[in-house]
Amino acid sequence: MMNFLSDPILALLWFGAVGLSVALYILLDGADLGLGILSLFPRKESERALMMHTMGPIWDANETWLVIAGGMLFGAFPTAYGIILSALYIPVMTMLFGLILRAASFEFHAFSVKKRFWSFLFGFGSLLAGVGQGLAVGGLLSGITIVNGEFAGSAFDFFTPLTVLLTIGVLMSYVFVGYAYLIKKTGAETSPGTYLRILITGAVTGVALLGATLLLPTRSYLFFTRWTEYPSNYLLYCITALMGALSLWLILLVFKRHTGPALHNLCLGIFICAMLGMLVGVFPYLIPPSMTIFEAASSRQTLLFMLVGLGPLFPIVLAYNFYLHKVFSRDEGEHKSRAQIYGE
Amino acid sequence: MDVLTVSRIQFGSTAAFHILWPLMSIGLSLFMVVMEAMWLKTKDIKYFHQLKFWTKIFILTFAIGTASGIPLEFEFGTNWAKFSSAAGDFFGNILGFESTVAFALEAAFLGIFVFGWEKVSARVHFFANLMIFVGATLSAFWIMAANSWMQVPIGVTVENGKLIVTDYLVAIFNPDTMVSFLHMWVACIESTLFMMMGICALVLLSRKASHEVKDFFIQTFKYCLIIAIVVTPLQIGLGDLSGTTIAKYQPAKLAATELHWETNAPGTGADWALVAWPNATNDGNSFEIKIPKVLSVLTTHSLTGRVPGLNEFHPDDRPSLINDIIVFYSFRIMVAIGFILFLLMILGCWYWKKGLLTIERTAHDRLFWWLFVLGTPLGFIATEAGWMVREIGRQPWVVYHLLRTKNGLSSGLDANTVIATTGIFAIIYLAFSILFVYFVWKIVAKGPDFNARPPVV
Ligand code: HDD
Ligand code: HEM
Ligand code: HEM
Repeated sequence: MMNFLSDPILALLWFGAVGLSVALYILLDGADLGLGILSLFPRKESERALMMHTMGPIWDANETWLVIAGGMLFGAFPTAYGIILSALYIPVMTMLFGLILRAASFEFHAFSVKKRFWSFLFGFGSLLAGVGQGLAVGGLLSGITIVNGEFAGSAFDFFTPLTVLLTIGVLMSYVFVGYAYLIKKTGAETSPGTYLRILITGAVTGVALLGATLLLPTRSYLFFTRWTEYPSNYLLYCITALMGALSLWLILLVFKRHTGPALHNLCLGIFICAMLGMLVGVFPYLIPPSMTIFEAASSRQTLLFMLVGLGPLFPIVLAYNFYLHKVFSRDEGEHKSRAQIYGE
Repeated sequence: MDVLTVSRIQFGSTAAFHILWPLMSIGLSLFMVVMEAMWLKTKDIKYFHQLKFWTKIFILTFAIGTASGIPLEFEFGTNWAKFSSAAGDFFGNILGFESTVAFALEAAFLGIFVFGWEKVSARVHFFANLMIFVGATLSAFWIMAANSWMQVPIGVTVENGKLIVTDYLVAIFNPDTMVSFLHMWVACIESTLFMMMGICALVLLSRKASHEVKDFFIQTFKYCLIIAIVVTPLQIGLGDLSGTTIAKYQPAKLAATELHWETNAPGTGADWALVAWPNATNDGNSFEIKIPKVLSVLTTHSLTGRVPGLNEFHPDDRPSLINDIIVFYSFRIMVAIGFILFLLMILGCWYWKKGLLTIERTAHDRLFWWLFVLGTPLGFIATEAGWMVREIGRQPWVVYHLLRTKNGLSSGLDANTVIATTGIFAIIYLAFSILFVYFVWKIVAKGPDFNARPPVV
């Protein structure tokens, strides 16, 4: 059946699907996490509540992309799934604790009278989740020791200078996109100084990621060759140039105190560039520099079965998520929580 | 403690916590579908109020269910990396199905269901409600298919230490899947019903609640009772089916649930132990009370059916002493609750038939209502007990007869890290449970909002 799909092509297709889910997760939930972190700061409860409620209807669906990405990675690349997660035990658990706290305090916030406490816990959970994700990316790029197809390092291997820089970068970029999303949703600056803070977070993100890029070659020769060898170097130059251009445009808009959706869209553009850069940097490795996509893939049978079963569903899932975002993009002003709608 | 033990405790306890919430989400979403359908059909506002009220509790259970489910998915990789690698060809794939099809469906339609009242038509809204229920049921199906395959792993061959699928349909629809999915699914509905009836009973016993509020809860009680008429006997039948299935495919587990040591000789029946305690060498009972031939009847439905005893299996291939004890008593707790809930249902119907299910009578029949209050946690206890039978009875295998639990553990795990994270999970989860009870208490104390009017789109 389906002979035209060779094994490598199948593996690539699934890598694409996992990659797309991860990308969607970051693009959609990044802003939610950023807003959550931001909600730690305002003194007025009304301001915090506004931040939380702008993501009310959708953050749950956004987070599902993480579950989908995890499920697909498990199905299509089970060995890599096991190695990556067991090597990154501490970062992954950190992220999970964050996600748990965030999910539950979001609803508790709505039902409770102690709003301050729950919005704090919500923000703290978002922060923890962001930290966990940063540590995980850092740990993955710092390299995982594999012997005989098993993780052979120790629990704290993930913690390197590269990891620290990447964690800062991830957190700041989430805050950054969170601000942009807030401006898009509310059509205004929510508090004086927002634009200044956008600039600062943006600058810190830039510096941290630049530092990380410089550190990468010290972790593995692979990353060095990506910047020096044809064709990956040209691709990387192009992506960097594009990112630079988008960033300049964004800075310009910030100085003009733009209030439309363009800020958020530009942020997403920069995120996409950064992820494409990552892709060029690591391809075809799933665990750089030791395990490739092709070595990690499930059996042909399984990849085909998943393709036939999930392939047609993927566009449907995309479509109804799109519908969801469309239904809720129309709401202006009335930002309520689930519980409020039910009369709490 | 060694890494293996703490890892098992971590997985087992986080799973045991997770299961509480989908249980209620599935049960409540069924109730919500019925209420919205009745409302659309009759336009009677009382159904709308029922729907609105119970949705509040559903929102809480769903949030905690999602929050506690995500760690489980990742724990397969963090704690059981070698299991993931060896069994991932089938197992990971099925989880991939679950997350894409089922979770995505639920999460997206929940947004429309909760926030969409004024944005979508009544039909779309009902459809969203239905899809939440379908999505939840599908996720239960997929996860049970994955777990059943760990119990009866067929449709695969072993290649280089990996279990490679040869026939998907055989693996998905292994002989255990439908039986355990149905038993689980009915457990969700049954447990939720008795939880709801318990809440209703509490309100009806209260001296403060208004007549209007009591009327609301007595209605809920009756709807639940109607569904329980079908569900409680069905569950006992499905439990019997589960028992005969494990007798056939996991004889060592069955022998452990019954602490049955010696295979009965041909022509005689196996005795059934009502209570028993294994001896220290784990090869017989130091104490037991037995009823002749009943075990043969229960498992094979014949007086002289052969039931292999535990001593027929090598000690390394069957549950350990402590596991035997847990499995034996968990099983008895579950079965006892199955019958208690059935009797509660009969009692409820009898009162109803005699016309005693009225607000006026609640002042007199306090014992009756207190019995239902006591029934509130029983379904959950039975469910946890059932899972202990299933998962601990499967030991020492993670994939029955193909992969030992100790060979499924991640390498490079640090016992202290696992203990620390388990502790954090325990604290957070304990807090969630207490808060859940507190918030449900508050929601119930506040009562339904009788002024709520359905939105006009
Ligand atoms: C409301 C909950 C509830 C009730 C009243 C019962 N069960 Fe149950 N039982 C479950 C909830 C449950 C469960 C939690 O849902 C389990 C665990 C895994 C599964 O598929 O169902 C289970 C598992 C389970 C197993 C183990 C299956 C395996 O290891 O593969 C057996 C043999 C039974 N049940 C038998 C019974 C019998 C004979 C009952 C009758 C009185 C009964 N159950 C009532
Ligand atoms: C939600 C209800 C569940 C509960 C309460 C539960 C309970 C447990 C317990 C107590 C253990 C530890 C057993 C021991 O080591 O003695 C365990 C292990 C395990 N369970 Fe479950 N389980 C549940 C559902 C599932 C499902 C649906 C799956 C698979 C899809 C699953 C997969 C596993 C695995 C992989 C292990 C670890 C290996 C092992 O100890 O055998 N569990 N579970
Ligand atoms: C131990 C194995 C299990 C794993 C790995 C697991 C995984 C998950 C995950 C990741 C979620 C969150 C999905 C989301 O983002 O919406 C979830 C929720 C859910 N799970 Fe589980 N689950 C397990 C056991 C079970 C069992 C045995 C059932 C059967 C009833 C079940 C039914 C559900 C349902 C219905 C939800 C939706 C959320 C809710 O209703 O509370 N799960 N699970």
